[in-house]
Amino acid sequence: MDEEDPKEYRWETGYEKTWEVIQEDDDGFLEASVADIIQKSKRKRQALKQGHAKLGMMRHLYIVIDCSDSMSGQDLKPTRLLCTVKLMEAFIEEFFDQNPISQLGIIIMHNKRAEKISELAGNGRKHAKAVKALNRTSLVGEPSLQNGLELALKSLKLLPSHASREILVVMGSLTTCDPTDINVTIENLKTEGVRCCVIGLAAEVHVCRHLANETGGTYNVILEDSHYKDLLFQNVDPPPAAVCLESSLIKMGFPHQMATEGTEDPLTMCMCHIDSADEGSKLTTGGYYCPQCNSKYCELPVECRSCGLTLVSAPHLARSYHHLFPAANYKELPYEHQSAICFACQKSFIADNDKQVYECNNCKKIFCTDCDMFIHDTLHTCPGCATNLATFQMSHSSQ
Amino acid sequence: MMMDLEGSTEKSADFTNTDETSLLVIIMDSNPAQRILRENPHVLTQCVDSVIAFANAHLMQKAQNKLAVMACHSKLSEFIYPGPGKQLDVRQIDGQYEVFTLVEKTIKQNLAKILTSETSTVITESLLAGAIAMALCYIHRINRIKAPGLKLNSRILVVTGSGDSASQYMNYMNVFFTAQKQNVVIDVCALDQHLSLLQQGCDITSGMYLRVPQMQGLLQYLLWVFLPEPPIRQKLVLPPPVKVDYRAACFCHRELIDIGYVCSVCLSIFCKFSPICTTCHTVFKIPSLGVKPKKKKLKI
Repeated sequence: MDEEDPKEYRWETGYEKTWEVIQEDDDGFLEASVADIIQKSKRKRQALKQGHAKLGMMRHLYIVIDCSDSMSGQDLKPTRLLCTVKLMEAFIEEFFDQNPISQLGIIIMHNKRAEKISELAGNGRKHAKAVKALNRTSLVGEPSLQNGLELALKSLKLLPSHASREILVVMGSLTTCDPTDINVTIENLKTEGVRCCVIGLAAEVHVCRHLANETGGTYNVILEDSHYKDLLFQNVDPPPAAVCLESSLIKMGFPHQMATEGTEDPLTMCMCHIDSADEGSKLTTGGYYCPQCNSKYCELPVECRSCGLTLVSAPHLARSYHHLFPAANYKELPYEHQSAICFACQKSFIADNDKQVYECNNCKKIFCTDCDMFIHDTLHTCPGCATNLATFQMSHSSQ
Repeated sequence: MMMDLEGSTEKSADFTNTDETSLLVIIMDSNPAQRILRENPHVLTQCVDSVIAFANAHLMQKAQNKLAVMACHSKLSEFIYPGPGKQLDVRQIDGQYEVFTLVEKTIKQNLAKILTSETSTVITESLLAGAIAMALCYIHRINRIKAPGLKLNSRILVVTGSGDSASQYMNYMNVFFTAQKQNVVIDVCALDQHLSLLQQGCDITSGMYLRVPQMQGLLQYLLWVFLPEPPIRQKLVLPPPVKVDYRAACFCHRELIDIGYVCSVCLSIFCKFSPICTTCHTVFKIPSLGVKPKKKKLKI
């Protein structure tokens, strides 16, 4: 589905016997078969993801959510909107976990208008709160794709040239009600280098396909909620850098907690809560101090409010390294008693259950299916290479 | 302390709940290149004995508790309990609980196998990050195959006398963040030098970091500081958490910096502005001053 040719419609492709892919297991369940399909697609995507591509690491992403009448549809349970809200909360958490120095903003489209419900910022909790509050919005009127895109573009335009700009549209409606020609907006987005991805909840719409194709993004229509989640979470990984993306050195501050031997920390107020209405700034000890102007913050990463310096900690940067240096893909081999146990998790292979095993090209260790998934999805370090001195040095010198 | 525990009956019910078990993976650094082992090889015997006694103490706390022990050696890391192959056949000796005998015999036998296979005398670093990665895969599997409804608290204890090396930085960070995501606590017991990288890992996963002041008292420190489960720890008076220095070291001089420059492509950190990134060879545009005249021209 992902790689289908944009010129070709689904009904023009060859006749597929989709039901033959699915097979019952011994107990008559389909779960194993479905899990197998999901895993295969994951591996396929993993194979495409190979390091040494220039990625847009400092991402600035606007999520544009359709909140029109069509989002009250009940094809996703309980409704399209509630399902979106739930997935979006998980997405935001995962996004900041994987891209700690990136920023996110949220725009909703309803009643032919676009409304920014959360400004571009790096704090995940604030966005999650804003998304949660969407449960109570009234779903009225038609969405305006153009207004949504224009609003996002207005603030993305102002970003420095090294920032990777992206828009992710979740479109439930099959129509859009626009004030002027949307092609002009698409052209503008293209010249500004904004990558637009669209997830359709209903059916393929030409203007969305056109938007995604022109701006180098992806366009997909969901099948059901787990496919929806899968499509949404594809946006967690940073995309390849846009051609016009300039590279530059960015000045950043690395605050450390002030610790003077023998003295207690002074009581101070933090800058992050200084003007928030619901929870005011409290007098506390400790915190992170901007090395340039000494203002205090309780959380990192943050942009200093008084001097504009980006404050991060070293682990924040380190958390993004695995996108740049991913673990090498394993080779899938039929199980022929290469090894009695999985090198990583010590599971003993049983010839009937483990039809495939995975071999690392560098350290030649054998892994089981689950470890292959775990290592490439979460761990990003090959346990074989990392425990073997020879391969460790080899892989290290190549980086 | 006891009164406090009894006072909160709800909490103590949690601790004694039979649906809750804890898995402890001990990573023992057996690399002969460690300074304390080079000076006095007998330290290893003491270290192994302490770890075994500690491991048994963990098993004694609750019948359902699980244990795994790994040895991180100069060239390889291996599980030494439960080791590869068939379980040893043990009989009860002097009325000792059979499992304890099994733990002791298996660990000693497997460790001896690793030590005798050691041939080179070249000093190499211990690849602890890789060992933690293996432990995480193991924990991931145990979590997968556990009975539904069972709650498994997993933690990793690293006992090491080697120093930490910046060359493993990326692997360390990957395993720390994975552990944090999987709710695995990483405890570190440093026998010799201060380990700043592993200390960061403890801070990230909210584990305990302790540098043992006296090798003689190793077992005592282990039992005192590392035996209590993480939820009980907050009720104990343990060494206070130290403030961890998260400042970055620049890639050019390896010095800790307060303000630095970060490459937007590969996120390398430099202490001074340079026109070309030494890591990814990207050419940077000159900041601020270089841009302004261009804009003016456009306006005209």
